[in-house]
Amino acid sequence: MKRHLHFLLALAVVLLMPAFMQSGSLASEVLIYALAAMGCNLLLGFTGLLSFGQGVFFGLGSYTIALTLTRWPLPMPLALLLAMLMGALGAAVVGWVAIRQKGTYFVMLTLAFAQMFYFIAYTATGITGGDNGLLDIPRPSIVVLGHTLWSLASPWQFYGFVAVAFLLAFWLLQKVSRSTFGRTLLAVRDNEERAGAIGYNLKLLKLQAFVISGAVTGLAGALHAMMTGIAPLSNAEYHTSEMILVMTVIGGAGNLFASVLGSAFYVLMADWLSTLWPRWLLLLGLVLMAVSLWMQRGLWGLGDSAWRALRSKLEKQHD
Amino acid sequence: MTSPILLEAIGVEKYYDKFAALGGVDLKVRANTVHSVIGPNGAGKTTLFHMLTGTKSVSGGRILFDGHDVTHEPDHRRVQRGMARSFQVTSLFLSLPVRENLRLAAQGVAPAKAFNCWHEPIGARACADTVERVLDKLGLSSLAITPAGNLSHGQQRRLEVGMALAAHPKAIFLDEPTSGMGVDDLDAMKRLILSLRDEHTVVLIEHNMDIVMDISDTVTVMQQGRILAEGLPHAIRSDDRVRAAYLGNMITGGKA
Repeated sequence: MKRHLHFLLALAVVLLMPAFMQSGSLASEVLIYALAAMGCNLLLGFTGLLSFGQGVFFGLGSYTIALTLTRWPLPMPLALLLAMLMGALGAAVVGWVAIRQKGTYFVMLTLAFAQMFYFIAYTATGITGGDNGLLDIPRPSIVVLGHTLWSLASPWQFYGFVAVAFLLAFWLLQKVSRSTFGRTLLAVRDNEERAGAIGYNLKLLKLQAFVISGAVTGLAGALHAMMTGIAPLSNAEYHTSEMILVMTVIGGAGNLFASVLGSAFYVLMADWLSTLWPRWLLLLGLVLMAVSLWMQRGLWGLGDSAWRALRSKLEKQHD
Repeated sequence: MTSPILLEAIGVEKYYDKFAALGGVDLKVRANTVHSVIGPNGAGKTTLFHMLTGTKSVSGGRILFDGHDVTHEPDHRRVQRGMARSFQVTSLFLSLPVRENLRLAAQGVAPAKAFNCWHEPIGARACADTVERVLDKLGLSSLAITPAGNLSHGQQRRLEVGMALAAHPKAIFLDEPTSGMGVDDLDAMKRLILSLRDEHTVVLIEHNMDIVMDISDTVTVMQQGRILAEGLPHAIRSDDRVRAAYLGNMITGGKA
Protein backbone atom coordinates (compact mmCIF):
# COMPACT_ATOMS: atom_id res chain seq x y z
CA MET A 1 0.00 0.00 0.00
CA LYS A 2 2.72 2.41 1.04
CA ARG A 3 4.60 1.49 -2.09
CA HIS A 4 1.71 2.59 -4.26
CA LEU A 5 0.61 5.51 -2.10
CA HIS A 6 1.91 8.23 -4.38
CA PHE A 7 0.45 6.71 -7.50
CA LEU A 8 -2.90 6.30 -5.73
CA LEU A 9 -2.77 9.94 -4.65
CA ALA A 10 -2.11 10.97 -8.26
CA LEU A 11 -5.00 8.77 -9.37
CA ALA A 12 -7.21 10.40 -6.74
CA VAL A 13 -6.37 13.86 -8.08
CA VAL A 14 -7.21 12.71 -11.61
CA LEU A 15 -10.57 11.27 -10.51
CA LEU A 16 -11.56 14.05 -8.12
CA MET A 17 -10.93 17.05 -10.37
CA PRO A 18 -13.93 16.34 -12.67
CA ALA A 19 -16.15 16.07 -9.57
CA PHE A 20 -15.18 19.44 -8.17
CA MET A 21 -14.22 21.57 -11.15
CA GLN A 22 -16.36 23.14 -13.81
CA SER A 23 -13.70 23.70 -16.44
CA GLY A 24 -12.16 20.70 -18.17
CA SER A 25 -9.48 22.94 -19.62
CA LEU A 26 -8.41 24.12 -16.19
CA ALA A 27 -8.26 20.53 -14.95
CA SER A 28 -6.20 19.58 -18.01
CA GLU A 29 -3.88 22.48 -17.35
CA VAL A 30 -3.23 21.21 -13.81
CA LEU A 31 -2.13 17.81 -15.12
CA ILE A 32 -0.11 19.28 -17.99
CA TYR A 33 1.91 21.54 -15.73
CA ALA A 34 2.20 18.68 -13.25
CA LEU A 35 3.98 16.77 -16.01
CA ALA A 36 6.33 19.70 -16.61
CA ALA A 37 6.97 20.12 -12.88
CA MET A 38 7.73 16.41 -12.50
CA GLY A 39 10.27 16.71 -15.31
CA CYS A 40 11.79 19.68 -13.51
CA ASN A 41 11.75 17.79 -10.22
CA LEU A 42 13.82 14.96 -11.66
CA LEU A 43 16.59 17.52 -12.18
CA LEU A 44 16.06 19.77 -9.16
CA GLY A 45 14.87 17.37 -6.48
CA PHE A 46 16.63 14.16 -7.49
CA THR A 47 19.83 15.35 -9.14
CA GLY A 48 20.28 18.77 -7.53
CA LEU A 49 20.29 20.70 -10.83
CA LEU A 50 18.48 24.04 -11.06
CA SER A 51 17.61 24.31 -14.75
CA PHE A 52 16.09 27.33 -16.45
CA GLY A 53 16.00 25.31 -19.67
CA GLN A 54 12.62 23.71 -18.95
CA GLY A 55 10.82 26.37 -21.04
CA VAL A 56 12.98 25.40 -24.01
CA PHE A 57 11.82 21.79 -23.83
CA PHE A 58 8.21 22.87 -23.23
CA GLY A 59 8.37 25.22 -26.24
CA LEU A 60 9.98 22.55 -28.41
CA GLY A 61 7.12 20.20 -27.56
CA SER A 62 4.53 22.85 -28.42
CA TYR A 63 6.09 23.78 -31.75
CA THR A 64 6.71 20.16 -32.73
CA ILE A 65 3.11 19.04 -32.17
CA ALA A 66 1.80 22.19 -33.91
CA LEU A 67 3.96 21.62 -36.98
CA THR A 68 3.28 17.90 -37.24
CA LEU A 69 -0.49 18.19 -36.78
CA THR A 70 -0.94 21.15 -39.15
CA ARG A 71 1.57 20.37 -41.89
CA TRP A 72 2.29 16.64 -41.93
CA PRO A 73 -0.24 13.83 -41.96
CA LEU A 74 1.19 12.11 -38.89
CA PRO A 75 -1.14 10.21 -36.50
CA MET A 76 -1.56 12.18 -33.29
CA PRO A 77 0.05 9.63 -30.91
CA LEU A 78 3.11 9.54 -33.15
CA ALA A 79 3.17 13.34 -33.22
CA LEU A 80 3.18 13.30 -29.40
CA LEU A 81 6.11 10.89 -29.38
CA LEU A 82 7.93 13.16 -31.84
CA ALA A 83 7.32 16.11 -29.50
CA MET A 84 8.81 14.09 -26.64
CA LEU A 85 11.79 13.20 -28.82
CA MET A 86 12.37 16.87 -29.68
CA GLY A 87 12.13 17.81 -26.00
CA ALA A 88 14.67 15.09 -25.20
CA LEU A 89 17.00 16.25 -27.99
CA GLY A 90 16.78 19.86 -26.82
CA ALA A 91 17.54 18.71 -23.28
CA ALA A 92 20.49 16.68 -24.53
CA VAL A 93 21.96 19.80 -26.15
CA VAL A 94 21.30 22.13 -23.19
CA GLY A 95 22.46 19.47 -20.75
CA TRP A 96 25.58 18.56 -22.72
CA VAL A 97 26.82 22.13 -22.56
CA ALA A 98 25.53 23.16 -19.13
CA ILE A 99 26.85 20.18 -17.11
CA ARG A 100 30.38 21.26 -17.93
CA GLN A 101 29.95 23.72 -15.09
CA LYS A 102 28.52 23.50 -11.59
CA GLY A 103 26.60 25.84 -9.33
CA THR A 104 26.04 29.38 -10.49
CA TYR A 105 27.62 28.89 -13.91
CA PHE A 106 25.57 25.81 -14.60
CA VAL A 107 22.42 27.84 -13.87
CA MET A 108 23.68 30.71 -16.06
CA LEU A 109 24.30 28.34 -18.97
CA THR A 110 20.74 27.00 -18.82
CA LEU A 111 19.50 30.59 -18.61
CA ALA A 112 21.56 31.50 -21.68
CA PHE A 113 19.89 28.69 -23.62
CA ALA A 114 16.45 29.85 -22.47
CA GLN A 115 17.14 33.38 -23.77
CA MET A 116 18.65 32.18 -27.03
CA PHE A 117 15.77 29.81 -27.71
CA TYR A 118 13.27 32.61 -27.20
CA PHE A 119 14.98 34.87 -29.72
CA ILE A 120 15.45 32.06 -32.21
CA ALA A 121 11.73 31.26 -31.93
CA TYR A 122 10.93 34.97 -32.27
CA THR A 123 13.09 35.31 -35.39
CA ALA A 124 12.32 32.06 -37.20
CA THR A 125 8.82 33.15 -38.21
CA GLY A 126 8.70 30.60 -41.06
CA ILE A 127 8.74 27.74 -38.55
CA THR A 128 7.38 29.15 -35.32
CA GLY A 129 5.14 31.93 -36.54
CA GLY A 130 7.26 34.36 -34.54
CA ASP A 131 5.25 36.68 -32.35
CA ASN A 132 1.94 35.23 -33.54
CA GLY A 133 2.84 31.64 -32.71
CA LEU A 134 1.31 28.72 -34.55
CA LEU A 135 -2.47 28.76 -34.73
CA ASP A 136 -5.33 26.36 -35.43
CA ILE A 137 -3.76 23.23 -34.04
CA PRO A 138 -6.33 20.47 -34.45
CA ARG A 139 -7.23 17.95 -31.76
CA PRO A 140 -7.77 14.85 -33.85
CA SER A 141 -9.76 11.96 -32.45
CA ILE A 142 -8.04 8.68 -31.81
CA VAL A 143 -9.01 6.51 -34.74
CA VAL A 144 -8.30 2.78 -34.99
CA LEU A 145 -9.02 0.99 -38.29
CA GLY A 146 -11.46 3.66 -39.40
CA HIS A 147 -13.44 3.64 -36.14
CA THR A 148 -13.38 6.73 -34.00
CA LEU A 149 -12.30 5.28 -30.68
CA TRP A 150 -11.99 8.44 -28.64
CA SER A 151 -13.02 11.94 -29.65
CA LEU A 152 -11.04 14.70 -27.96
CA ALA A 153 -13.30 17.52 -29.08
CA SER A 154 -14.77 18.63 -25.74
CA PRO A 155 -12.58 19.88 -22.87
CA TRP A 156 -13.51 16.97 -20.62
CA GLN A 157 -12.89 14.43 -23.38
CA PHE A 158 -9.45 15.93 -23.83
CA TYR A 159 -8.98 15.86 -20.07
CA GLY A 160 -9.48 12.10 -20.14
CA PHE A 161 -6.73 11.78 -22.72
CA VAL A 162 -4.38 14.04 -20.76
CA ALA A 163 -5.17 12.05 -17.61
CA VAL A 164 -4.12 8.77 -19.26
CA ALA A 165 -0.87 10.34 -20.51
CA PHE A 166 -0.26 11.87 -17.08
CA LEU A 167 -0.83 8.64 -15.15
CA LEU A 168 1.39 6.71 -17.55
CA ALA A 169 4.15 9.31 -17.22
CA PHE A 170 3.76 9.39 -13.43
CA TRP A 171 4.07 5.61 -13.21
CA LEU A 172 7.12 5.59 -15.48
CA LEU A 173 8.83 8.45 -13.66
CA GLN A 174 8.20 6.76 -10.34
CA LYS A 175 9.78 3.63 -11.76
CA VAL A 176 12.78 5.67 -12.91
CA SER A 177 13.14 7.43 -9.57
CA ARG A 178 13.19 4.09 -7.72
CA SER A 179 15.53 2.40 -10.20
CA THR A 180 19.25 1.97 -9.77
CA PHE A 181 19.58 5.10 -11.90
CA GLY A 182 17.25 7.15 -9.68
CA ARG A 183 19.04 6.01 -6.54
CA THR A 184 22.38 6.97 -8.06
CA LEU A 185 21.02 10.43 -8.90
CA LEU A 186 20.33 10.93 -5.18
CA ALA A 187 24.01 10.25 -4.55
CA VAL A 188 24.96 12.89 -7.12
CA ARG A 189 22.56 15.31 -5.46
CA ASP A 190 23.99 14.65 -2.00
CA ASN A 191 27.71 14.79 -2.82
CA GLU A 192 29.15 15.07 -6.31
CA GLU A 193 32.76 14.78 -5.20
CA ARG A 194 32.15 11.47 -3.48
CA ALA A 195 29.93 10.16 -6.29
CA GLY A 196 32.79 10.76 -8.74
CA ALA A 197 35.34 9.26 -6.37
CA ILE A 198 33.44 5.98 -6.05
CA GLY A 199 33.31 5.51 -9.80
CA TYR A 200 30.34 7.31 -11.32
CA ASN A 201 30.48 9.33 -14.50
CA LEU A 202 28.65 12.42 -13.26
CA LYS A 203 28.30 13.99 -16.70
CA LEU A 204 26.59 10.99 -18.25
CA LEU A 205 24.27 10.55 -15.27
CA LYS A 206 23.25 14.21 -15.42
CA LEU A 207 22.84 14.02 -19.18
CA GLN A 208 20.49 11.05 -18.89
CA ALA A 209 18.49 12.91 -16.23
CA PHE A 210 18.26 15.89 -18.61
CA VAL A 211 17.08 13.73 -21.51
CA ILE A 212 14.30 12.11 -19.47
CA SER A 213 13.30 15.51 -18.07
CA GLY A 214 13.25 16.99 -21.59
CA ALA A 215 11.03 14.21 -22.93
CA VAL A 216 8.42 14.65 -20.16
CA THR A 217 8.50 18.44 -20.48
CA GLY A 218 8.18 18.15 -24.27
CA LEU A 219 5.08 15.99 -23.75
CA ALA A 220 3.64 18.66 -21.45
CA GLY A 221 4.34 21.38 -24.04
CA ALA A 222 2.66 19.34 -26.77
CA LEU A 223 -0.45 18.64 -24.69
CA HIS A 224 -0.64 22.31 -23.78
CA ALA A 225 -0.58 23.29 -27.44
CA MET A 226 -3.30 20.75 -28.21
CA MET A 227 -5.41 22.04 -25.34
CA THR A 228 -5.26 25.70 -26.33
CA GLY A 229 -5.09 25.07 -30.08
CA ILE A 230 -2.11 27.37 -30.36
CA ALA A 231 1.65 27.18 -29.85
CA PRO A 232 2.34 30.74 -28.69
CA LEU A 233 5.74 32.36 -28.39
CA SER A 234 5.10 32.62 -24.65
CA ASN A 235 5.41 28.82 -24.34
CA ALA A 236 9.05 29.22 -25.38
CA GLU A 237 9.63 32.17 -23.11
CA TYR A 238 11.89 32.37 -20.11
CA HIS A 239 8.77 32.96 -18.03
CA THR A 240 7.63 29.38 -18.71
CA SER A 241 10.88 28.05 -17.24
CA GLU A 242 10.39 30.21 -14.20
CA MET A 243 6.79 29.13 -13.74
CA ILE A 244 7.71 25.42 -13.95
CA LEU A 245 10.49 25.94 -11.41
CA VAL A 246 8.18 27.83 -9.02
CA MET A 247 5.57 25.06 -9.19
CA THR A 248 8.25 22.46 -8.46
CA VAL A 249 9.62 24.35 -5.47
CA ILE A 250 6.21 25.22 -4.01
CA GLY A 251 5.10 21.59 -4.31
CA GLY A 252 8.32 20.25 -2.84
CA ALA A 253 11.54 19.07 -4.47
CA GLY A 254 12.49 15.41 -4.42
CA ASN A 255 8.98 13.98 -4.49
CA LEU A 256 6.98 13.38 -7.66
CA PHE A 257 3.51 13.76 -6.19
CA ALA A 258 4.60 17.06 -4.66
CA SER A 259 4.93 18.39 -8.20
CA VAL A 260 1.26 17.59 -8.80
CA LEU A 261 0.40 19.60 -5.68
CA GLY A 262 2.63 22.47 -6.84
CA SER A 263 1.02 22.55 -10.26
CA ALA A 264 -2.53 22.34 -8.87
CA PHE A 265 -1.79 25.11 -6.38
CA TYR A 266 -0.26 27.42 -8.99
CA VAL A 267 -2.81 26.84 -11.75
CA LEU A 268 -5.87 27.06 -9.48
CA MET A 269 -4.57 30.08 -7.54
CA ALA A 270 -3.74 31.83 -10.80
CA ASP A 271 -7.22 31.12 -12.12
CA TRP A 272 -8.95 32.32 -8.97
CA LEU A 273 -6.76 35.28 -8.04
CA SER A 274 -6.39 36.70 -11.54
CA THR A 275 -10.15 37.33 -11.62
CA LEU A 276 -9.94 39.18 -8.29
CA TRP A 277 -6.81 41.21 -8.78
CA PRO A 278 -4.65 41.65 -11.88
CA ARG A 279 -1.50 41.95 -9.76
CA TRP A 280 -1.99 38.53 -8.18
CA LEU A 281 1.58 37.47 -9.00
CA LEU A 282 2.62 39.67 -6.07
CA LEU A 283 0.87 37.22 -3.74
CA LEU A 284 2.68 34.35 -5.39
CA GLY A 285 5.92 36.08 -4.44
CA LEU A 286 4.84 35.95 -0.81
CA VAL A 287 4.04 32.24 -1.05
CA LEU A 288 7.47 31.62 -2.58
CA MET A 289 9.09 33.54 0.27
CA ALA A 290 7.19 31.51 2.85
CA VAL A 291 8.28 28.26 1.19
CA SER A 292 11.90 29.35 0.91
CA LEU A 293 12.08 30.59 4.50
CA TRP A 294 10.01 28.14 6.50
CA MET A 295 8.84 25.15 4.50
CA GLN A 296 11.55 24.00 2.16
CA ARG A 297 9.86 20.65 1.68
CA GLY A 298 7.01 22.59 0.10
CA LEU A 299 3.30 21.81 0.23
CA TRP A 300 4.09 18.10 0.37
CA GLY A 301 6.26 18.64 3.45
CA LEU A 302 3.50 20.69 5.07
CA GLY A 303 0.95 17.94 4.46
CA ASP A 304 3.39 15.27 5.61
CA SER A 305 4.14 17.08 8.89
CA ALA A 306 0.45 17.71 9.55
CA TRP A 307 -0.34 14.04 8.93
CA ARG A 308 2.42 12.89 11.30
CA ALA A 309 1.29 15.31 14.01
CA LEU A 310 -2.30 14.13 13.67
CA ARG A 311 -1.30 10.47 13.81
CA SER A 312 0.86 10.84 16.90
CA LYS A 313 -1.97 12.76 18.59
CA LEU A 314 -4.45 10.01 17.76
CA GLU A 315 -2.03 7.36 19.00
CA LYS A 316 -1.64 9.21 22.29
CA GLN A 317 -5.42 9.40 22.73
CA HIS A 318 -5.61 5.70 21.98
CA ASP A 319 -3.12 4.95 24.75
CA MET B 1 59.85 -6.70 1.11
CA THR B 2 59.82 -8.11 -2.37
CA SER B 3 56.21 -7.78 -3.38
CA PRO B 4 55.70 -6.24 -6.85
CA ILE B 5 55.22 -2.53 -7.38
CA LEU B 6 51.52 -1.74 -7.72
CA LEU B 7 51.66 2.03 -8.06
CA GLU B 8 54.38 4.24 -9.42
CA ALA B 9 54.57 8.01 -9.71
CA ILE B 10 57.28 9.40 -11.99
CA GLY B 11 58.19 13.07 -11.69
CA VAL B 12 54.63 14.13 -10.82
CA GLU B 13 54.20 17.91 -10.79
CA LYS B 14 51.28 20.13 -9.91
CA TYR B 15 51.31 23.87 -10.46
CA TYR B 16 48.70 26.36 -9.31
CA ASP B 17 49.61 29.31 -11.53
CA LYS B 18 53.32 29.56 -10.79
CA PHE B 19 53.19 27.99 -7.35
CA ALA B 20 54.58 24.45 -7.40
CA ALA B 21 52.42 22.41 -5.03
CA LEU B 22 54.32 19.35 -6.23
CA GLY B 23 57.76 19.75 -7.75
CA GLY B 24 58.48 16.38 -9.30
CA VAL B 25 57.60 13.52 -6.99
CA ASP B 26 58.74 9.92 -7.52
CA LEU B 27 56.97 7.25 -5.51
CA LYS B 28 56.86 3.46 -5.66
CA VAL B 29 54.23 1.62 -3.66
CA ARG B 30 54.57 -2.15 -3.28
CA ALA B 31 51.54 -4.43 -3.26
CA ASN B 32 50.05 -5.52 0.09
CA THR B 33 51.98 -3.01 2.15
CA VAL B 34 50.96 -0.03 4.22
CA HIS B 35 52.80 2.93 2.71
CA SER B 36 52.49 6.15 4.69
CA VAL B 37 53.11 9.65 3.41
CA ILE B 38 53.91 12.16 6.15
CA GLY B 39 55.12 15.73 6.24
CA PRO B 40 54.37 19.12 7.73
CA ASN B 41 51.22 21.02 6.73
CA GLY B 42 51.49 22.32 3.18
CA ALA B 43 54.05 19.70 2.17
CA GLY B 44 51.82 18.54 -0.68
CA LYS B 45 50.58 15.25 0.74
CA THR B 46 46.93 15.76 -0.11
CA THR B 47 47.82 17.22 -3.52
CA LEU B 48 49.85 14.08 -4.24
CA PHE B 49 46.82 12.02 -3.21
CA HIS B 50 44.59 13.98 -5.59
CA MET B 51 47.06 13.27 -8.40
CA LEU B 52 47.34 9.56 -7.63
CA THR B 53 43.59 9.01 -7.38
CA GLY B 54 42.66 11.31 -10.26
CA THR B 55 40.59 13.73 -8.19
CA LYS B 56 42.64 16.49 -9.87
CA SER B 57 44.80 16.38 -13.00
CA VAL B 58 48.60 16.51 -13.04
CA SER B 59 50.63 19.38 -14.54
CA GLY B 60 53.47 17.00 -15.44
CA GLY B 61 54.85 13.52 -14.90
CA ARG B 62 53.28 10.08 -15.14
CA ILE B 63 51.32 7.73 -12.93
CA LEU B 64 51.39 3.99 -13.49
CA PHE B 65 48.95 1.69 -11.73
CA ASP B 66 48.83 -2.07 -12.02
CA GLY B 67 50.66 -1.98 -15.34
CA HIS B 68 48.58 0.81 -16.90
CA ASP B 69 49.41 4.45 -17.51
CA VAL B 70 46.50 6.16 -15.72
CA THR B 71 47.97 9.68 -15.81
CA HIS B 72 45.13 11.12 -17.85
CA GLU B 73 42.27 8.97 -16.61
CA PRO B 74 39.59 10.69 -14.51
CA ASP B 75 38.90 9.43 -11.00
CA HIS B 76 35.88 7.35 -11.91
CA ARG B 77 37.91 5.39 -14.48
CA ARG B 78 40.63 4.69 -11.93
CA VAL B 79 38.04 3.19 -9.59
CA GLN B 80 37.47 0.50 -12.19
CA ARG B 81 41.22 -0.17 -12.30
CA GLY B 82 41.09 -0.86 -8.56
CA MET B 83 41.77 2.44 -6.79
CA ALA B 84 39.55 3.77 -4.03
CA ARG B 85 40.01 6.67 -1.67
CA SER B 86 38.75 8.23 1.51
CA PHE B 87 38.72 11.98 2.12
CA GLN B 88 40.42 14.09 4.76
CA VAL B 89 37.18 15.96 5.31
CA THR B 90 34.40 13.40 5.64
CA SER B 91 32.59 13.10 2.33
CA LEU B 92 29.48 10.96 2.52
CA PHE B 93 25.94 10.91 1.19
CA LEU B 94 24.57 12.44 4.36
CA SER B 95 20.85 12.13 3.66
CA LEU B 96 21.15 8.46 2.65
CA PRO B 97 21.32 5.49 5.05
CA VAL B 98 24.68 3.91 5.90
CA ARG B 99 23.76 0.80 3.94
CA GLU B 100 22.85 2.86 0.86
CA ASN B 101 26.16 4.74 1.08
CA LEU B 102 28.04 1.45 0.95
CA ARG B 103 25.79 -0.01 -1.74
CA LEU B 104 26.50 2.99 -3.97
CA ALA B 105 30.22 2.61 -3.32
CA ALA B 106 30.11 -1.12 -4.16
CA GLN B 107 28.06 -0.47 -7.29
CA GLY B 108 30.56 2.15 -8.46
CA VAL B 109 32.94 -0.56 -9.69
CA ALA B 110 30.41 -1.43 -12.39
CA PRO B 111 29.06 2.07 -12.99
CA ALA B 112 27.25 1.13 -16.23
CA LYS B 113 24.61 -0.45 -13.98
CA ALA B 114 23.83 3.01 -12.63
CA PHE B 115 22.10 3.83 -15.92
CA ASN B 116 19.47 1.14 -15.42
CA CYS B 117 16.23 3.14 -15.33
CA TRP B 118 13.96 0.15 -14.98
CA HIS B 119 15.11 -2.16 -12.19
CA GLU B 120 15.40 -1.32 -8.54
CA PRO B 121 18.71 -2.15 -6.86
CA ILE B 122 17.37 -5.24 -5.08
CA GLY B 123 18.27 -8.94 -5.13
CA ALA B 124 21.38 -9.62 -7.20
CA ARG B 125 21.68 -5.88 -7.93
CA ALA B 126 21.96 -4.95 -4.26
CA CYS B 127 25.65 -5.92 -3.75
CA ALA B 128 24.36 -7.27 -0.43
CA ASP B 129 27.34 -9.54 0.34
CA THR B 130 29.87 -6.77 -0.02
CA VAL B 131 27.75 -4.30 1.93
CA GLU B 132 27.17 -6.69 4.83
CA ARG B 133 30.85 -7.65 5.00
CA VAL B 134 31.98 -4.02 5.08
CA LEU B 135 29.30 -3.08 7.63
CA ASP B 136 30.59 -5.90 9.81
CA LYS B 137 34.21 -4.86 9.39
CA LEU B 138 33.36 -1.26 10.30
CA GLY B 139 31.26 -2.32 13.26
CA LEU B 140 28.31 -0.35 11.89
CA SER B 141 25.86 -3.21 11.26
CA SER B 142 23.46 -1.96 13.91
CA LEU B 143 23.37 1.48 12.27
CA ALA B 144 22.75 0.24 8.73
CA ILE B 145 19.50 2.13 8.21
CA THR B 146 20.59 5.34 9.96
CA PRO B 147 21.20 8.30 7.65
CA ALA B 148 24.96 8.89 7.41
CA GLY B 149 24.42 12.47 8.58
CA ASN B 150 23.20 11.22 11.97
CA LEU B 151 26.35 9.22 12.79
CA SER B 152 28.93 10.40 15.32
CA HIS B 153 32.19 11.80 13.99
CA GLY B 154 34.12 8.61 14.74
CA GLN B 155 31.46 6.50 13.02
CA GLN B 156 31.52 8.79 10.00
CA ARG B 157 35.31 8.47 9.78
CA ARG B 158 34.97 4.69 9.77
CA LEU B 159 32.24 4.81 7.13
CA GLU B 160 34.55 7.08 5.13
CA VAL B 161 37.09 4.23 5.03
CA GLY B 162 34.30 1.74 4.33
CA MET B 163 33.27 3.70 1.22
CA ALA B 164 36.69 2.92 -0.22
CA LEU B 165 36.59 -0.70 0.98
CA ALA B 166 33.25 -1.45 -0.62
CA ALA B 167 34.78 -1.02 -4.07
CA HIS B 168 37.03 -4.10 -3.59
CA PRO B 169 40.05 -1.98 -4.49
CA LYS B 170 43.57 -3.22 -5.12
CA ALA B 171 44.86 -0.01 -3.59
CA ILE B 172 43.06 1.97 -0.93
CA PHE B 173 44.05 5.61 -0.33
CA LEU B 174 43.29 6.96 3.13
CA ASP B 175 43.65 10.70 3.66
CA GLU B 176 44.04 11.33 7.40
CA PRO B 177 41.52 8.70 8.49
CA THR B 178 41.91 9.68 12.16
CA SER B 179 41.47 13.43 11.68
CA GLY B 180 39.43 14.91 14.50
CA MET B 181 38.96 11.53 16.18
CA GLY B 182 38.82 11.07 19.93
CA VAL B 183 41.29 8.72 21.63
CA ASP B 184 38.59 6.12 22.11
CA ASP B 185 38.08 5.74 18.38
CA LEU B 186 41.78 5.68 17.48
CA ASP B 187 42.42 2.05 18.37
CA ALA B 188 39.45 0.84 16.34
CA MET B 189 40.73 2.79 13.32
CA LYS B 190 44.26 1.44 13.75
CA ARG B 191 43.00 -2.14 13.85
CA LEU B 192 40.83 -1.46 10.82
CA ILE B 193 43.73 -0.16 8.75
CA LEU B 194 46.02 -3.01 9.78
CA SER B 195 43.38 -5.54 8.78
CA LEU B 196 43.32 -4.11 5.26
CA ARG B 197 46.87 -5.16 4.35
CA ASP B 198 45.98 -8.79 3.70
CA GLU B 199 43.70 -8.01 0.80
CA HIS B 200 44.66 -4.49 -0.22
CA THR B 201 47.56 -2.11 -0.62
CA VAL B 202 47.16 0.88 1.66
CA VAL B 203 48.49 4.36 0.93
CA LEU B 204 48.05 6.46 4.03
CA ILE B 205 48.37 10.14 4.87
CA GLU B 206 48.40 10.50 8.61
CA HIS B 207 49.42 13.04 11.22
CA ASN B 208 49.26 10.70 14.17
CA MET B 209 52.86 9.44 14.40
CA ASP B 210 52.05 6.61 16.81
CA ILE B 211 49.79 5.09 14.22
CA VAL B 212 52.18 5.73 11.34
CA MET B 213 55.16 4.20 13.11
CA ASP B 214 53.14 1.20 14.34
CA ILE B 215 51.46 0.09 11.17
CA SER B 216 53.57 1.29 8.21
CA ASP B 217 55.83 -0.91 6.11
CA THR B 218 57.31 2.10 4.34
CA VAL B 219 57.23 5.79 5.26
CA THR B 220 57.74 8.62 2.76
CA VAL B 221 58.42 12.08 4.16
CA MET B 222 57.43 15.11 2.08
CA GLN B 223 58.46 18.72 2.45
CA GLN B 224 57.60 21.69 0.26
CA GLY B 225 56.25 19.62 -2.60
CA ARG B 226 59.19 17.21 -2.74
CA ILE B 227 60.24 13.95 -1.16
CA LEU B 228 62.64 14.45 1.70
CA ALA B 229 63.24 10.88 2.78
CA GLU B 230 61.87 7.37 2.46
CA GLY B 231 62.43 4.20 4.40
CA LEU B 232 61.37 1.87 7.18
CA PRO B 233 59.60 3.51 10.14
CA HIS B 234 62.50 3.18 12.56
CA ALA B 235 64.96 4.54 9.99
CA ILE B 236 62.72 7.55 9.35
CA ARG B 237 62.33 8.16 13.05
CA SER B 238 66.10 8.53 13.43
CA ASP B 239 66.75 10.39 10.14
CA ASP B 240 68.47 13.73 10.82
CA ARG B 241 66.88 15.57 7.87
CA VAL B 242 63.44 14.45 8.94
CA ARG B 243 64.12 15.51 12.51
CA ALA B 244 65.24 18.91 11.27
CA ALA B 245 62.16 19.32 9.09
CA TYR B 246 59.86 18.58 11.98
CA LEU B 247 61.99 20.40 14.57
CA GLY B 248 61.93 17.12 16.41
CA ASN B 249 58.53 17.41 17.97
CA MET B 250 56.04 15.71 15.72
CA ILE B 251 58.10 12.69 14.77
CA THR B 252 58.47 11.62 18.36
CA GLY B 253 54.76 11.62 18.89
CA GLY B 254 54.16 15.25 19.89
CA LYS B 255 51.26 17.15 18.37
CA ALA B 256 52.00 18.94 15.09
